[in-house]
Amino acid sequence: MSSPLWKRGVRGDFVEIFKSIGVRGPMEFYIKVLEITCLHTILVLGAYLMTGLTGLFSLGQGGFVSIGAYTASIAYLHFNVPFPMAILMAVLMGSAVGFLIGIPTLRLHRDYFLLVTFGFGEMIRAALLHLAQLTGGALGIAGIPKLVDLPMILISILFITFLIYNLKRSRFGRNCIAIRDDELAASLMGINVYSHKMKVFILSSAITSYGGALYAFLIMFIEPNLFNWLESAKLIIITFVGGVNSITGAIIASVVYYSFGEFFRFVDVWRDVLLALAVLFVTIFRPGGIFGSWELSPTKLFSWRAKKG
Amino acid sequence: MELNILLQQIFNGISLGGVYALEAVGFGIIFNILKFSNFSHSGVVAISAYFGFFVSRYIYTHFLVTLIITTLAGGLIGVIIEKLIFRPIRLKGAPLTLFLVNSITAAMLVQQFFAATLGDDYYPYPVFMKQTSINIGNLTISKTYTLMLIISGLVLLLLTYVLKRTKVGIALRAASTDIRTPSLMGVNIDFVISVAFFIAGVLGGITGYLLGMTYSVDPFIGSMILKGIIAAIIGGMGSLGGGVIAGLLLGGAECLLIAEIGSSLTQIVIYSGIFVLLLIRPEGIAGKRYIIKA
Repeated sequence: MSSPLWKRGVRGDFVEIFKSIGVRGPMEFYIKVLEITCLHTILVLGAYLMTGLTGLFSLGQGGFVSIGAYTASIAYLHFNVPFPMAILMAVLMGSAVGFLIGIPTLRLHRDYFLLVTFGFGEMIRAALLHLAQLTGGALGIAGIPKLVDLPMILISILFITFLIYNLKRSRFGRNCIAIRDDELAASLMGINVYSHKMKVFILSSAITSYGGALYAFLIMFIEPNLFNWLESAKLIIITFVGGVNSITGAIIASVVYYSFGEFFRFVDVWRDVLLALAVLFVTIFRPGGIFGSWELSPTKLFSWRAKKG
Repeated sequence: MELNILLQQIFNGISLGGVYALEAVGFGIIFNILKFSNFSHSGVVAISAYFGFFVSRYIYTHFLVTLIITTLAGGLIGVIIEKLIFRPIRLKGAPLTLFLVNSITAAMLVQQFFAATLGDDYYPYPVFMKQTSINIGNLTISKTYTLMLIISGLVLLLLTYVLKRTKVGIALRAASTDIRTPSLMGVNIDFVISVAFFIAGVLGGITGYLLGMTYSVDPFIGSMILKGIIAAIIGGMGSLGGGVIAGLLLGGAECLLIAEIGSSLTQIVIYSGIFVLLLIRPEGIAGKRYIIKA
């Protein structure tokens, strides 16, 4: 940061940003912002499934992002696996690791689960740094081709949202919400807590590593410090701001935060300060999150129109 | 490895472990009462580390005086955080996850605030001692590490006295068992919680000062606290003694492993060790099995 924020023109900064990320004009810049925003929204949806729906508090999401990104790009670059297969491999790898991590940890009490997933994220980071022949160590992997474009990410988001939305309204989803609200009561009602948590954890890991794989082919460069525990925590925090019970809230909060971050790249670190302050205000004055349990649903939209007309 | 280097590493490890133990205890006190993992403790540590730096560099350079000032400031910061962030949601009867979210957010706020205002620069503490090490036989012992060990030991002893003998300490322990019953018996539970945050803040202040003195201050100094949180958890949540033992073990293991196999493998080994430990003994080294109450 050369000169203080308030002395620099906003416009000049945009031009600098255009140059730095190699885009030609505003339109391309907007598309880029949208792509990055949507990509993070996929990750937020993965976190929502876990924290919002089932109440599992994981700081290891970053580990799954890295697993997805590295699996896909190593498969594509070193073993010449075709692109769709590489993505599929990343998802399978993420689910498998999720299953393995889940076996011992999902029986643990909440804070232990938090610690173990945190340790898992750090372990993945250290392992990526250590296995330098395969992963390039601290230098990361560069030269990944850009094979992901906006339509593909948008379709993915729509699909994942559809999946989670239906999951939430199914018997399975209601059981998960019961587990989140009161684990003991849920298990007394005959819900198999462990198996539900396991399924949610695997699904969430799959979504997160899918997001990671897309990330690699969108940003074209990955490194072990891609996602530290703070980034993982941010995903969860965003679902809480949006509304613990609301997919709509999670998506809106994520889009606002990440697009804000990309547009105002020159405020850089201040955006996290702002996010933190916003979160504190929301949790103190509106503990249920901005949207509470309100959902935007097509049926409601149509019935509202019908009533009006 | 030669014997004297081995001994030296063990000594350094135990000194570092003493700081981890302080962190673990500061973290455990809050967990005992409010039953959530207080990540905002890292915020207290970071603020105190910067505070200690500014006091010792620009106002008064004396090890003990600045240590005491920083410690008190840490306690005050702890109380302020409790009043601003945790009391409002506690009074609304918010679920425990919300406490967790708020504490992580507070940690993020502090870290990013320092990163935004002071940048990624390192701020080294002024040098307090002319001679940095003592030679005993063919052992070279760093004075900073010795101070770290002595101060952590003294503070832990003092804390044990406060918890066992004073009225507030008894109230604290009562509130740890059950937070509602003491309040029905006429204990001012708001005050007890404030005291808990004050004690945790004091411990955080000392930790921040010692860490800042040993390494140097940068915005990410708060992440050091994560080792303390790990120590608290493998020690057994709610058991302060277990936290101390786990902290010492963790510090010793870390120093030895880093000297032997390098830092990136150390991380892997330590986290897998914790993983295995929790698999065998989910309640931690000294903890009681956690009963989920409805």
